[in-house]
Amino acid sequence: MARTLNFMQAINEAIAEEMRRDPSVFVLGEDVRVSPFGQTAGLVEEFGEERILNTPIAENAITGAAMGAAMNGMRPILELMFCDFSMLAMDQICNHLGQWRYITGGQYPLPLTIRTAVGAGMRMAYGHSQSLESQFIQAPGLILVEPSTPYDAKGLLKSAIRSDDPVVVFEHKKLIFGGVEGEVPEEDYTVPFGQAVVRKQGQDATVVAFGFMGYEALNAAQELAQDNIAIEIIDPRSIVPLDKDTIFESVEKTGRLIIVEEGRLRGGLGAEIAALACGDYFSLLKAPVQRVAAPMIPIPGSPVLEDLYLPNKDSIVRAVRRVC
Amino acid sequence: MSLSNAKLLELYRKMLLVRSMEETHGKLLQEGKIQLMGHFGTGQEAVAIGVTGPLRPEDILFGTHRGVGEFIGKGMTPKDIWLEYLGKKAGPCRGKGTLHLADRKLNIPGLVSSLGADFSMAVGTALASKMRRTDQVTLYYVGEGTCNQADAHPSMCMAALWKLPVVFAVCTNQFCELSYMCDHYPTDDVAPRAAGYGIPYEVVDGQDIAVTYEATERAVAHARRGQGPFLVEYKTFRMATHFTGDPGHYVNPEEREQWAARDPIDLCRKKLLEAAVITADADQKLRAEVQAEVDGAVREGFAAADPTVEDLFEDLYSGKGVL
Repeated sequence: MARTLNFMQAINEAIAEEMRRDPSVFVLGEDVRVSPFGQTAGLVEEFGEERILNTPIAENAITGAAMGAAMNGMRPILELMFCDFSMLAMDQICNHLGQWRYITGGQYPLPLTIRTAVGAGMRMAYGHSQSLESQFIQAPGLILVEPSTPYDAKGLLKSAIRSDDPVVVFEHKKLIFGGVEGEVPEEDYTVPFGQAVVRKQGQDATVVAFGFMGYEALNAAQELAQDNIAIEIIDPRSIVPLDKDTIFESVEKTGRLIIVEEGRLRGGLGAEIAALACGDYFSLLKAPVQRVAAPMIPIPGSPVLEDLYLPNKDSIVRAVRRVC
Repeated sequence: MSLSNAKLLELYRKMLLVRSMEETHGKLLQEGKIQLMGHFGTGQEAVAIGVTGPLRPEDILFGTHRGVGEFIGKGMTPKDIWLEYLGKKAGPCRGKGTLHLADRKLNIPGLVSSLGADFSMAVGTALASKMRRTDQVTLYYVGEGTCNQADAHPSMCMAALWKLPVVFAVCTNQFCELSYMCDHYPTDDVAPRAAGYGIPYEVVDGQDIAVTYEATERAVAHARRGQGPFLVEYKTFRMATHFTGDPGHYVNPEEREQWAARDPIDLCRKKLLEAAVITADADQKLRAEVQAEVDGAVREGFAAADPTVEDLFEDLYSGKGVL
């Protein structure tokens, strides 16, 4: 049986169920007991303060502490409240977390899940709004996922918690606060890593849209349909590993590729997929690859400027029209 | 002195082994047989062996880049160390860690290069020990230079806040990389920083193995009893330079001579001879035996199989098909 849950409820339920299932799972992070956004709200009542552990404000050190716990038999879920703040923990994440298993010859896998909030549009200006997923893709050994529906939020988070590999889950603030709803089964399920999903079928162009950008792409599809342009929208769900098969099977059909991300353009997720397209899949392309991403500027505080900064339906429509 | 003669002799042998390992490493480098840079801990053997001596097999050790002392102390064999140092497939890290030694069977989770990153990891292993209701202790062995890393503070804070079974063992060897400690610290001691977090501490002589061992034993017992973290600072002198290739022009020779007169291995030998635990002849024999063990380990290491191209992509992910 499926019920309708919002994005935040799906995350909360995934954590609660995994904590009931496995006593080695616990949550730590800044203010996880009160939980300012609500993803871990109420869990302390069921699981107690030891397993819902408030930490000092010290991102690098709490990441290291979570890694240490993962080295010694626990499966921590670490919350780094804003992805902007995760930059304080990049020594642990990029220098050590993903590489630890390899460099110890497989002796020490680190079953650690990091949850962090990305996304602008909440009028939080430059320090609480960035989508910094592409900062993580250079680090070997990490799994990176970004759900866009309650179903995927729960299923990917469960896969992350059960994985012996370190996983970073990017949660978009508009999905958390905006209360996006969706059907979520009552019975246990997981969403495997590396499996994209086709959100909308179409034969004219392939639009790969990460996370919240999938909703902008759906809006763009409606507008483009008025001109008889049918785009196919793919939600990769996993950034690493990336489901190249689903993406390029679609490109084989459409011959056109547009990659949409909320993060910035230079060296972004779109750059990586465009490079793949121009290499192994060049013969599939009938038109130049298009990237839709944020410009290389800080996120301005002014609501007017912030809206101009963000990739959206209109920028996707423009990019599609350039090649269709 | 509560250390038995038999225990003292065991610790003495380990100190000899550490020095022989590092001298051999230096010799191989000089002869051009290896390229692996060394950061030796010559003169600090009583600290490295004293801090690991009281640990149980299930206790967790985070060591430093400086020498092999604490790894030998926790039970790593010269053979395993050389297999790893030489990047061989049979090394504990399958040749991928080399200087970054890790050995799960001995509860040594690994060694970082961005110094101090492991400060908080040690807090995390201790947190897990407490959550899992074990009486396991984590010993975090660290130099005074690294204690200036920002993470030292939240790590001590969390350890105290959550009353975790972790011992911070600070080896103050007077040098922070290529400069004197006084260029890095406005104070003579690191240890009083612990008081800021309500962590009890002790500052002890780092040259006398009995002192280092017993101070650690007290600190470990405190942590194991559930009384929370403890910090011990051991005062010693780095006779080696920062790395092989550093000529050490910055070292005051007179001061070096003064510390050399209290060499930890010489001090221990004197005690053993005075207590008639060994004779001069037996000592010579022991030293030869230790050197032979190290030479044998080096030989076996060189003879061991190298990893292959298949190993290059192994061990990154537990799950299949991610790469």
